Amino acid sequence: MSTTSQKHRDFVGEPMADKPVTALSGIGETLGKKLEENGFDKAYVVLGQFLLLRKDTEMFTDWLKDSIGANSRQASSCAQCLKEWCDAFL
Amino acid sequence: MPFAEDPAHLSKSRLKSDLVAHNVALPSAASKKAVYVELHLKHIDQKNAADFSSDEEDRADDKKDAEMPVPSCLTDEDLKAMLRKHGVKPGPITASTRVLYERKLHKLLQSDRRERLNEADKAVLYSDSEEEKKQQEKDQDSGSEKQPDPSDQTQKESSQNHVFYPQCFLPSSRLRPCPPRNTESSSNWNSRNALKSSERSQSQCSQIISTSTADHHTGLGSTVLPRSKSTDDSSLSSQYFSITQMVEEMENSSSRSVTDNACEFNGTSVQENWAQSDRPPQEPVKDAFKDILPGSKTTPTGIYVTRRRPIKGAAQRPVQYSYPDSPVSPMTQQRREVERYLVPIHIQILVFIIVACVLYLIYVNVEGSLSYWSYGEDRLLVQAESQDAEADYAQD
Repeated sequence: MSTTSQKHRDFVGEPMADKPVTALSGIGETLGKKLEENGFDKAYVVLGQFLLLRKDTEMFTDWLKDSIGANSRQASSCAQCLKEWCDAFL
Repeated sequence: MPFAEDPAHLSKSRLKSDLVAHNVALPSAASKKAVYVELHLKHIDQKNAADFSSDEEDRADDKKDAEMPVPSCLTDEDLKAMLRKHGVKPGPITASTRVLYERKLHKLLQSDRRERLNEADKAVLYSDSEEEKKQQEKDQDSGSEKQPDPSDQTQKESSQNHVFYPQCFLPSSRLRPCPPRNTESSSNWNSRNALKSSERSQSQCSQIISTSTADHHTGLGSTVLPRSKSTDDSSLSSQYFSITQMVEEMENSSSRSVTDNACEFNGTSVQENWAQSDRPPQEPVKDAFKDILPGSKTTPTGIYVTRRRPIKGAAQRPVQYSYPDSPVSPMTQQRREVERYLVPIHIQILVFIIVACVLYLIYVNVEGSLSYWSYGEDRLLVQAESQDAEADYAQD
């Protein structure tokens, strides 16, 4: 609770359902658009990628950095957000 | 990406990931697969072709790499197997994940390569030392004229070896002028001198000296050898002796302007640690030694010992030659003196508790028995009275 943003808490607090990728913590307008270009138009697709990497936050951050050019902070924030969501709901 | 696979056979997403991996700009998301295939053919296959031609030319160089397969050449299954070998449990290797796993494998292979190189270096070092040791001991036993050869060899080999950092030991030896153990002074200190002089003083500790000199050359002595007293410093324990011996050795030899073998430490576990951890180049340090102690003379084995001179008068304290086992401050000592007369606190508390319990028991008993006594007394009185009464009646 200390270092998480409101966005993070909003995402992790409930099942993601059909939320867009911009609902993920660390993913803003620009990154969201890039993800959509790559075919990841919904948050659950990104979750799919995260699960494909066996919920490895390190590999996921690498993937985010490579595929959409996220910086370390954004990528780790997104990874952490997804990880907590998985812990809570998966 | 297997070489034989036609890009047309790959899936669209796979083509996409390949393009991304090769830093090719992706076409729009809605474009057909044919576009991807085209791009793939254009950029990636050209690159592969170029690589092929260069590979054929550089077969010799690639021999090393033959042991280390390039991650991008592996099939999915092979990549998975390689990752598992390194302890990584990979998820499904798909278009999107393949690149990441390839990179991970690449990193693991590089770290492996580095480890192997380090081990190879160490192996070389150790093997050299063993050879030298055997030769030294042989010469020592035979006492033949083969001494110059091992000394040359040691010089050659030691020049290849790395020199260890002697920084920690420097000050101790500098505090006192070293009394020469051996009046012989040679310009080139080498194993030959050491061996000869060691033979002379063989009566006391022949084998030890030989191995110590051997260790000196090899730079990888395995044990700290306690020397019998043959120096002027009688106050030192044997263990300290050997360490400072090496220091003196080093200084003397450095002053003799010999190669790296002069600066090698041996017979100390510390030295071993240095050898194993890292061995930075020692040239500037060695020169410093030579500059500092140009005039120090050699000893029979080149081993010198000096005890660190206590700094008298620095704190207006007399020189104390024997120190207590554990350092105790004066305050602690005073406190201990005083405490000897006082009863320890634990015993005090215990006694207090015991006394309290005793008092409580007494109190309880008294309380209880008071009523009992009073009751008892009444009964006694009554009994007495009745007895008296009976007696009276009896009398009457």
